[in-house]
Amino acid sequence: MPQSVLSANRVLELLAQPIEREALEEQLFRSKAELTDWTEDALTIEVTPDRLDMLSEGGLALFLQGALGLKKGPAPLVEPPATLDRPAALVEASVSTLRPYLAGALLTAPAGVALDAGLFAEAIRFQEVLHATIGLDRRAASLGLYSWERLKPPIRYALEPVDGVRFHPLDGPAEVEGPKFFAEHPMAQRYGRLGRSDGECLTLRDADDQLLSLPPILNGRTAGEVRIGDRALLLESTGTRAVRVEESVGLMLLPFAARGWAVQSLRVEYPDHAESGMGWISPRRLPFSASTLQDLTGLSLPDEQVEDYLAQGRLGGTKAPDGWWVEIPPWRPDLQTSVDLTEEILVARGIAPEDAVLPASATRGRRLAEARFRRTVRRVLLGLGYVELRNTVLVPNGLATLLGRSSAIAVVNPVSDLYSRVRDSLQISLMASLERNVRYPYPQQYSDVGPVVVRDSSEPSGGKTRWHAGAVLAGERSGFADASAWVDYLLGAFGALGVREPAELPGTIPGRAACLRIAGEAVAEVGEIAPSVLSELKVPVPVAWGEVDLTALWPLVRRGETPC
Amino acid sequence: MPDEESAPAVDPSTALTLSGPERQVLEALRAAPHVLQEESALLERTGLAADALRGSLERLRSKHLALATDDSWVERKLTRRGEEARARGLPERRFLFALRRRGGALTPDQVEAEGFSDEEQAAAIGYLRRRHYLADGVPFRWAEPRPDVDRPFPEEEALQQVATGAKEVDATIFSQLQRRGLVSTERHSVRRWLPSPEGIALPLPEAGRPLVGALGTSLLSSGEWAHVSFRPYDVRATVPYLQGARPHPYLAWLEEVEEILIGLGFEEAEGPLLETEFWNADVLNMPQEHPARSVHDMFFVNAAPGAPLPADLVERVAAVHEGRPMAGETLPVSPGWRTPYSRDRARRPVLRSQTTAVSARYLAAHPTPPFRMYCIGRNFRPDALDTRHHIEFEQCEGILGDSGVTIRHLVGVFKAFAEALGISDLKIRPSYFPFTEPSIEGYVRHPRLGWMEVFPGGMLRPEVLRPLGAEVPVAAWGIGITWLALVALGYNDIRDLYLDDRARLTGRPD
Repeated sequence: MPQSVLSANRVLELLAQPIEREALEEQLFRSKAELTDWTEDALTIEVTPDRLDMLSEGGLALFLQGALGLKKGPAPLVEPPATLDRPAALVEASVSTLRPYLAGALLTAPAGVALDAGLFAEAIRFQEVLHATIGLDRRAASLGLYSWERLKPPIRYALEPVDGVRFHPLDGPAEVEGPKFFAEHPMAQRYGRLGRSDGECLTLRDADDQLLSLPPILNGRTAGEVRIGDRALLLESTGTRAVRVEESVGLMLLPFAARGWAVQSLRVEYPDHAESGMGWISPRRLPFSASTLQDLTGLSLPDEQVEDYLAQGRLGGTKAPDGWWVEIPPWRPDLQTSVDLTEEILVARGIAPEDAVLPASATRGRRLAEARFRRTVRRVLLGLGYVELRNTVLVPNGLATLLGRSSAIAVVNPVSDLYSRVRDSLQISLMASLERNVRYPYPQQYSDVGPVVVRDSSEPSGGKTRWHAGAVLAGERSGFADASAWVDYLLGAFGALGVREPAELPGTIPGRAACLRIAGEAVAEVGEIAPSVLSELKVPVPVAWGEVDLTALWPLVRRGETPC
Repeated sequence: MPDEESAPAVDPSTALTLSGPERQVLEALRAAPHVLQEESALLERTGLAADALRGSLERLRSKHLALATDDSWVERKLTRRGEEARARGLPERRFLFALRRRGGALTPDQVEAEGFSDEEQAAAIGYLRRRHYLADGVPFRWAEPRPDVDRPFPEEEALQQVATGAKEVDATIFSQLQRRGLVSTERHSVRRWLPSPEGIALPLPEAGRPLVGALGTSLLSSGEWAHVSFRPYDVRATVPYLQGARPHPYLAWLEEVEEILIGLGFEEAEGPLLETEFWNADVLNMPQEHPARSVHDMFFVNAAPGAPLPADLVERVAAVHEGRPMAGETLPVSPGWRTPYSRDRARRPVLRSQTTAVSARYLAAHPTPPFRMYCIGRNFRPDALDTRHHIEFEQCEGILGDSGVTIRHLVGVFKAFAEALGISDLKIRPSYFPFTEPSIEGYVRHPRLGWMEVFPGGMLRPEVLRPLGAEVPVAAWGIGITWLALVALGYNDIRDLYLDDRARLTGRPD
């Protein structure tokens, strides 16, 4: 779950009253966040992925103000001074294949206030949180902040030849050639592929051709650098996903909006439109159906109560014929439908074990008949003296190879070689268990009734899950007959009789393995494990193995009365 | 030394527990109460077979009526080579005589002709030079003018002593001869028996009515059983070691969980372990670029996609993801994820990472409401392995659907389930899952581990229900069953759920 370290002092400053640790813990538990740690000024908060707004000091303070009843209703979005022109950005057609979307806003400080170190640090930290989460590590969306006072609008977003670019990285001592930056700078090495294509790279320039940044990699120092004391900032986001670009800007407004900065959306002009709807960052109005609230929660709440809960969640609610119109601030992209708003009501109201009711309708609980059948198989094997195992479905590649089970599906991103193949036979798991138990005396006998996956093109996934019952008997006198005997016994327990025929089976001694068929269908395999396998696994005694395909057997033995 | 265990006072009725052979043996021991008797002597005295005698002696010992003492000693013996050397003479002796025979000088060829093997030559020459019989150089000559060649070597004396069973043999010389493979040792032991003070004191009643040991078929069929008395057993005696089978503890516990769910009216469902991304994620409203769909959260495999997915359903899910109206509808279900939906990605095979896929398949089969379904199934995620995380784990998943089902019913299920498990402390909080809204989490309090999150759940979103054609509200829940299992089974390591250690599974240490 996303988490971040916030400044406790900055949250408390906005809250304008102290809060005890227990009270904070309780409030966060009732919401979808969690206090992981609070050491001096460092407040570590973890949230569910839909509440990224609470990972900024501003967002957390807005939530707590509502939850503690200090302030309710939507936080005001301050209008910009009338003297300011609406900022504009031009998107050139050249970016459309690499990273087509741009959105942004102009942030203006309240009178007598300017950007201070605390707000700047909060903004940069929250920006990185958004890059890592909603931005999908900058691929879907990445943000940038610039000093509006030191650039000349409109800004221009384009793709231009790398060779013609000279760039002074924000963290570098001097201007460098574009190719050198892309070859050497650590940020370019990490994110360069997102902003570069065939000798060209993305640039953001102002009307004087000053290079603001190389999206989505790094700001430039000359025109791209934000400084303490700035009073007007340009916030922009570029990306490959229009929705995420827009949402990232909406969320990024929070540190500023919570402190009374004015917000004005950037007018973005795309080559194919005079002006795009993109980039308009303003509160949305969402219809909230009263019946949805009632149907999902089973709660009958008076209208005023619902409106109060909405206000507590820092939303605006006005009555509509069949519910409410709800005003959603731009930093709550998680709220899209009545269903989402229903959860907001539950967060504000709280939910407790006392709300429990049991469903009135009667249903019949039962196991699947086939699962009952498998349980009986397990009991038959236990009755025969086989110790029951429950092994992993993922098995070591080395063991699957040793047993000659080359068709077993392989995991392409394994975390360990021990779990790198999907077993297609319990033989692999059973032999692994024998290998792990060589320090104990013999005879040893184990069984496992579990799933395997075999390649099958008739399944959309390319593999079919089948249930097998397998057993091994390891002892000085273990042999083919032992395995055949228990398989015959098991089939007989379900009134079935298999016919053995010679077969070549992986991991067994040639001439000492058989396949069992019922009405022509293969239902079981038995054999003596090859000495090459035993010696590799250091199992010092012969091993008889048998395995029944219960998925194949079930339709053959299913009847009104089974011994299940 | 006799056993030093302190013997309990002997109950006179112990005499009744003696079998015929045991009584015979005890009497034989008591006949010479202070003489340590070997088993061979007792065999002769009792006329019993060796096995019967040995068994009787052991049983008398376990009843504290007889004491055993073990003596052991080491016998020194000539090996086959040692016997040969004693007959032919040691190589150094033969070399010495050959030198004298040839007048005090021997060339290598002459040595060869005397029939010495290479090994014997090396041994003899080395020995004789160390003892200053031979000078350096070739041909071989005396080191001093007239050596006393007839004086026996210490090795020859030792061989003689070993051959005649002398008690004292020089230990250094013996070990040299042992290294040369001429002598060896053999350990012997003998057990001797004595009646214990209790065995001497035990009153042995006159033999009256015969006491019968085994109740044989002839006794039963002849009716003779009515005229005999049965010898009482020593019920404290050791019994045979039995190695049996047991159910796996985790599986046994899961069956208990299933019984609770069946009691709450849930029916079982299953699904495949190898899934498509469509069933594992798309149909559950997880956007295709969701971080939980990366290689860090799902296992991808080298299987090729097989048969096509249900086309209609794929189109409905695609419409929901892209925020378009589904076929035949005018309004979209919701704004959706507003990103292009990849049908190729939907077909990609993955190992199931959440059992919710089973719930979706169940709903796609259009069950008749009211319905309640549960599934306990394996899932796979590429987690780092530690005591709390495993790449394979169980989820216990369920849904309940009917008109009028609300989040409060879900709380009702959590509460009933917790109570059935004996948990009374329950807390609920809101949460987030891509496929439910509202979403909640239930916490239970464990006496040792504190509050644990074990019940995630919520109301399935319209984005899930509508494409699947579900027409009633559906509450969905999952239970962190592996966590509960660790607590219930007293395990500290999740890997114990895959326990296959024979000793731990059978409860026998060996």
